[in-house]
Amino acid sequence: MKRIFSKDILKSYAFLLPFAFFIIAFILIPVIGAIINSFYQDVTFKAREFIQFENYTSLFQDSGFWQSLRFSLWFVLVSVPFELLLGMIFALLLNQIRKFRGLIWAAVLIPWAIPSAISARTWELIYNYNYGLANYALSAIGITQEPVNWLGTSIGAFISVVIADAWKTAPFITIILLAGLQGIPDDLYRQSRIDGANFVQGFRKITLPLLKPVIVVALLFRTIDALRVFDVIYVLTGGGPGGATTSLSIFGYNYYINGDFGYGSAVSVVLFAIAFGLSVLYVKMSRFKTGIR
Amino acid sequence: MILHRLFTLGLILLLLAGCGGDAEDEEKQIVFAVGGAPSEIDFWEALIDEFSTEYQIDVSIVRQPTDTDQRRQGLVVSLKARDDDPDVFLMDVAWLAQIAASGWLEPLNTETDRIKTEAFFENILNLADRYNGKLMALPVYVDGGVLYYRMDLLEEIGVKNPPGTWQELIEYSQKVLDIKREDNPDFYGFVWQGAQYEGLICNFLEFASSNNGGFIFEGDSLRLNIPENVEALRMMHDIIHEHKISPPNTYTEFTEEEVRLFFQNGNALFERNWPYAWNLHQSPKSPVKDKIGIDVLPHFEGGESISTLGGWHIGISVYSDVKSEARRFVEYVTSYETQKRLALNLGWNPGRKDVYSDSEVLERLPHFAELRDVFENAYPRPTRPYYSQMSAILQKHLNSALAGEVNPEAALEAAETEIQDIINRYR
Repeated sequence: MKRIFSKDILKSYAFLLPFAFFIIAFILIPVIGAIINSFYQDVTFKAREFIQFENYTSLFQDSGFWQSLRFSLWFVLVSVPFELLLGMIFALLLNQIRKFRGLIWAAVLIPWAIPSAISARTWELIYNYNYGLANYALSAIGITQEPVNWLGTSIGAFISVVIADAWKTAPFITIILLAGLQGIPDDLYRQSRIDGANFVQGFRKITLPLLKPVIVVALLFRTIDALRVFDVIYVLTGGGPGGATTSLSIFGYNYYINGDFGYGSAVSVVLFAIAFGLSVLYVKMSRFKTGIR
Repeated sequence: MILHRLFTLGLILLLLAGCGGDAEDEEKQIVFAVGGAPSEIDFWEALIDEFSTEYQIDVSIVRQPTDTDQRRQGLVVSLKARDDDPDVFLMDVAWLAQIAASGWLEPLNTETDRIKTEAFFENILNLADRYNGKLMALPVYVDGGVLYYRMDLLEEIGVKNPPGTWQELIEYSQKVLDIKREDNPDFYGFVWQGAQYEGLICNFLEFASSNNGGFIFEGDSLRLNIPENVEALRMMHDIIHEHKISPPNTYTEFTEEEVRLFFQNGNALFERNWPYAWNLHQSPKSPVKDKIGIDVLPHFEGGESISTLGGWHIGISVYSDVKSEARRFVEYVTSYETQKRLALNLGWNPGRKDVYSDSEVLERLPHFAELRDVFENAYPRPTRPYYSQMSAILQKHLNSALAGEVNPEAALEAAETEIQDIINRYR
């Protein structure tokens, strides 16, 4: 008991308090609120009514829900590895650069700094059927004769969304990995070269293992972000064609704006549960305790 | 220990201070939420200035976006929080029922409010503004889908009148395409709203109801997968993919403004749009100025031309703290004089029927004679408080049918089942 209130620890509690306040006020309370709300029929035009698990039973029979769940999982499975690959390539290249390093790093970060809604509008113009850059470029170099309706098919819209998302978020991975690469001492590479290791061996035996904790952090952030993707899709396809690019967030959002807060909450709770489960999995995988010490 | 306590105390005090009430000495002011294009906001600002000087009541505008869903969202957030602002707002006819059924509208007392209901379109008041027998809102301006056509191009193929049936529309389009495509590869026959949004429902209902289809309700049971609707949806699909008279990106990118610009730039023979496009098409710099006509939409053999009813209605919040002032404002906005100015200044279609017979209006806007008929026969969207959910589902399935990912029967069948689930859930 005495130790808990020792002066130093008290001070650190005091410093933590504002942070804890924000977590409780803006994360914990809303999450609990959403969970409670998901057991109610809460629509604007009827009295609020406790309906136990009815929102969830309807949800699990709702083909729109399964479609959006399928989309969200596919989106994570395709976009995250793609972004990791791009981010890794950029990080390895940038790590070699010695001149104008600050300037080039800043340039790489620009897509990440642009708000998603704006970059998605830009991509919308690029994909535009009539005057988009993509169709112009492809026909100019003679790959396609007829313009392609990028956002018009399920698969086309899916790929378009993944590319637009990767353009924006690969720099984020690049920066995290670069920080990790900076922490690997050059001596290790020099030593391995003396021992006759080539680049690929060096990458596999030194870079990857030492970068692992950083990769896991990057993957964790990206997986959860990709799972709840909203802005890029909302602007680019609105969830279409049909419901082909409706992510879980968009699916839930549509219920919120249509005035069904209970059903929307149930969708959010399911999304939260999946994201939470994945986070736990990642943290376990990363073996944080041994990795950092 | 003391430090710990002091800190907690400080934090609590800080929180309490933050929760303190706002100053009460604010003077009475009507807050009016309205959105739209800059020209619309300008009009409203000029209008409230005049209202303020005439009635000595202060009005401030809350600017909302153009998008109807975002405008609704803004209102739902304030109203659900029982905020006393905004006091007066405009509502899309598509979601007016939701706001009314939520008990958020102050009934307009027709006896003391000096509102003459007979001056308005009776069918529209009944369909949209009356809820449980009480008048909850009034139309500020009304909308209905119309057909714009290029008179000069129809003349080139020796046709005098705009198409009466969809079949004729396809025939004329193909004839004109044969001539025009050579010098303009981007030229198309017919542009309309096919993207996945509310506009697609409006277009579908116009095709379907001109074939005696549409939403068929028997009490709480809905039928959508009927041959009339299937034929209509197939027609919409074929216009894009078989006859190729509509651009391939119709179902991904075409909302009102894309369609209007496409037609206005001279790239299409026919256009389905709302009446707002007329003034823009006829503006001095428009390439199609004085080359266009306006008419009712085509229909199927054995059906008749029908437009989907659109438009914006004004209502007073039940939580308003300045209700009597708000009533004066609603009267002012729906008065003959204001409605006439709405028509003359913005080219909008007033919610009041009597303005359509005004000689000055008819002189400046001769197409108002046709519009009056359009609005008297406009087809409503279902006025259920959960219509938005029904619409979202139908949009999705119609759009996949237009994309050719499922056939029309399957799309309508799936929509019917899913919408029935929605109805059962909220019944």
